Amino acid sequence: LRKAWSAESWIAAVLAGVLLLYLAFPLLQRTRHAAPRRRVLVVYGFSVLGDAMNRGIFPAFSRLWKEKTGEEVFFPSSFAGSGTITNQILLGAPAAVALLAHEGDALRLKEAGAARTDWREFPARGVVNRTPFVILVRKGNPLGIRSFADLTRPNVGIIHPDPLTSGGAAWAILAEFASATRLPEPLTAEDVRRGSEQLRGIWSRVVGQSPSAMGARTQFENGFGDALVTYEQQGVAARSSRGEEVEVVLPPRTILSEHVAVLVDRNIPVRDRFLALSFRDFLFARKGQEIFVKFGFRSAVDPGLDAGNPSLGALTDPITVEQLGGWERAYRLVVERIWKDEILKEPGR
Amino acid sequence: MTPARQDSGRGGWSQRLTVTALWAVLTPLLLLPIVAIFVFAGRGGWTAFWRTIALPDAQFAMRLSLWIALWTSLANAVLGTFTAYVLSKHRFRGRGPLSVLVNLPVAIPTVVIGTSLLLLWGPIGLLGRFLDPMGFRPMFAPLGIFLAHLLVTFPYMLGAVKPVLDELEVTYEEAAYTMGAGKMRTFLYVILPALRGGLFSGTLLTFAHSLGEFGATVMVSGNLRMKTQTAPLFIFAQFEAGQIETANAVAAVLAVLSFVIFMFLLRFTGPSAREGS
Repeated sequence: LRKAWSAESWIAAVLAGVLLLYLAFPLLQRTRHAAPRRRVLVVYGFSVLGDAMNRGIFPAFSRLWKEKTGEEVFFPSSFAGSGTITNQILLGAPAAVALLAHEGDALRLKEAGAARTDWREFPARGVVNRTPFVILVRKGNPLGIRSFADLTRPNVGIIHPDPLTSGGAAWAILAEFASATRLPEPLTAEDVRRGSEQLRGIWSRVVGQSPSAMGARTQFENGFGDALVTYEQQGVAARSSRGEEVEVVLPPRTILSEHVAVLVDRNIPVRDRFLALSFRDFLFARKGQEIFVKFGFRSAVDPGLDAGNPSLGALTDPITVEQLGGWERAYRLVVERIWKDEILKEPGR
Repeated sequence: MTPARQDSGRGGWSQRLTVTALWAVLTPLLLLPIVAIFVFAGRGGWTAFWRTIALPDAQFAMRLSLWIALWTSLANAVLGTFTAYVLSKHRFRGRGPLSVLVNLPVAIPTVVIGTSLLLLWGPIGLLGRFLDPMGFRPMFAPLGIFLAHLLVTFPYMLGAVKPVLDELEVTYEEAAYTMGAGKMRTFLYVILPALRGGLFSGTLLTFAHSLGEFGATVMVSGNLRMKTQTAPLFIFAQFEAGQIETANAVAAVLAVLSFVIFMFLLRFTGPSAREGS
């Protein structure tokens, strides 16, 4: 017995048809006009780079490459916590170029054999840009926060990125520790005690964590917490999107983070090698560095370029990871031994 | 189902109070969150909404999600029906454990499913270790998303089809056999038509679940814009990046789509199609 279609069946059929048409639309388009020759370069970057890459670097490089070769470069990209993307690449994500928040993640790629080209041979030892760590506070700075020491006060609620996945969070921990020491004097036992004390005080005030620095800023901008520890670049971005609602506090003593560019050789076929190298060179060239400065980073190649962005604060006494004995030593001591093994495990936290 | 109580005036008054209380509780819990999505999505007006929806990466994410949902539904329609048929019509050793196994994905957290797939197909995984050198890398690719969704949504098709098969009178099949129809013909002309309702609702359920799947997808997809980023991942990434309007525009589209699917589900599995309570 064959029944006539009900009204509902008709509606369902029409909706399904519309859906299929929507799905097939790009396929129909593709056959109509031949696309110009297209190249693909997969880029993974740590979260806060998203804006600078998507709106600055990618379009600028594509334009340049097209002028030179006539080819379109297409950049599939993913931006997340530095640790997250490193883990994804280690598990097989197809990134050709990785921009990481610190050298520790680059070393993990190297140890796994994914990255063979030594980034330290790039300009500025592979540091593609830098940024000091700052504290974002609410309009008018109602709690009067001026330094990392002020974050230990009992009435402060801090939003912090998660050090397990975010490279920025690891830098923040280094800043929170090192600003209480007498660096660049050599670290003494007393320095370590004072640094740990301040770190412990700050972490007893953390009320919210996010997997990436970008996510932490979103939490803060949505009204959570009184203070956010983050990259100065994020402060500049927050000022331009939120205006007066947030204020950037550049503590007199803070760390200058260094972000590295790595070629993931394992994922670069021979035919894309030149493209990947050209892209790497572009990042360190004057044009690339100017774009980073425009988006709120500081140039590691030529600090003179920083004057191009008036919203970058004046650095008085920045601490570098070099003064802490290099990334590996600093990370092992401050993040792993003090933060992870001592502070994180304390009861009541 | 208990019929509405038709009590005295006092009963009516207390009933009204109870219903009001229920609304008062459910409005902030269930209704307002959905309203919030639409309010934020529509904040910049229609033009802003359309501009956001028309972004190439938003379009790509929605298309990818729909494609994956389509393939997942089709694959599970076949695989789920086959499984249901075997489990329902055959008695064999290991049938008990198998019935539990096929329903297991509902009980396992989706993040765990994603992890398990990475540990099976990834470059360091049980199978991936051998497949990776051959160039077969399903993880961080659309195929990986498809595999994850297949696993996550498997029980839905089964749950929709198997009860119908279980209840199907054996006499119809036997009648078909005695009239000389083969197994295949019996399946096509006797069993399949009876399954239509179950198949339809199973497919819709699978489609809806696949469309919104997040936990397993975020583990296996690599979250590559314009390549492996599905609509829910797009929403999450945009929200993380502070692009709340963009996130909400796509969220609103997904919500409407799910709503439409749900309406059809209600119609086709409504009182007439439903057995028992």
